[in-house]
Amino acid sequence: MTGHSDSSSSEKKSNEEMNDVPVFSAENMQNNMKVIYYSRTFMSIIGGVIAGILGFTGFMGFVFYFLVMTITSIGLIAKAKFSVHLYVDSWNRIILDGFMGGLMSFVLFWTFAYDIVHIF
Amino acid sequence: MAEDLVLDTAIRDWVLIPLSVVMVLIGILRYFVAKLMRSFQVPDHKIVKEGQVIVRARNLRAAANFIPPKSFRPRRVYFSNEENGLLFVPKGQAQNAQAQMFSDPNMAMDMMKKNLSMIIPQTLTFAWVNFFFSGFVAAKIPFPLTQRFRSMLQNGIDLSTVDVSYVSSRSWYFLNLFGLRGLFSLILGEENAMDDTQRMMQMSGFGFDPSKSLASEKDGLDIVQHEWALPKFEHRAEAVLKKLVR
Repeated sequence: MTGHSDSSSSEKKSNEEMNDVPVFSAENMQNNMKVIYYSRTFMSIIGGVIAGILGFTGFMGFVFYFLVMTITSIGLIAKAKFSVHLYVDSWNRIILDGFMGGLMSFVLFWTFAYDIVHIF
Repeated sequence: MAEDLVLDTAIRDWVLIPLSVVMVLIGILRYFVAKLMRSFQVPDHKIVKEGQVIVRARNLRAAANFIPPKSFRPRRVYFSNEENGLLFVPKGQAQNAQAQMFSDPNMAMDMMKKNLSMIIPQTLTFAWVNFFFSGFVAAKIPFPLTQRFRSMLQNGIDLSTVDVSYVSSRSWYFLNLFGLRGLFSLILGEENAMDDTQRMMQMSGFGFDPSKSLASEKDGLDIVQHEWALPKFEHRAEAVLKKLVR
């Protein structure tokens, strides 16, 4: 497989499969991790606002958070054209990384939107 | 006891939104102040040299499998040789460097500045919140918590029958404190999410202890088992070139 550059998207190839041993370009992988983190943070904020507007309370809200995180994971995997090992070094990274990190932002914006809409 | 309290609209306008806006602005202010106050200290010649040696050794360890064994071994000996290898530091000299590091006034000032710039805005804002916004219900959190959180979340409210979901403004402050970290990392760019724990770790790691890192690099280099990963690269290069030509 000859290397072709994928510079139009924001994720860069970090693993060129030319060798028997997988090699990772550390800089590209760091960039990919950053993109994943930003996507998750942004989606958790938006998800929080949506959950507040829709009036989820209690357990339903956390279920919604997991739903939003799963949708983010699926979106990221689709963006990586389903060949995840070209962009990150293991499946766990793209699925589980930063899962809990967006929780506080989600709760903040959920509380905010819920209060503004429902307890006014 | 689960009826919905109807809260004054004025609370929304004058408590929740200003508090959030103030915290965002203080975060941005702190970022710019830290950027302006970052004094550029002239790096010590010896420390920079040792840092570069460590970087070289680390590169060698990472890429060890891509150079043939015959080249790897002399490079490794160059680094970890007992007598005049670069990574071998006698113990007496190591202590000296560490003591010098901690009494260096620039470094102490830097650490103190970083500490202060983190703690002072938080303390001030907390005191401000307590002074102005105490004694009433500020928000309702959408999920129920147990009774034990009551004392933490409802500190200004002296009614014990109010649902724990109705919280005071102090808890709104804490919620903002944790929740705005994500927002800051989006707005301000990569490194300035005001993550307390991360900052603490960075500070303790920056006590750049050259002797220990040298010793650990030397150990790491000694451990490396060389596995020649590109044995058939001539064949593979031939295959790739053939594909290109076709």
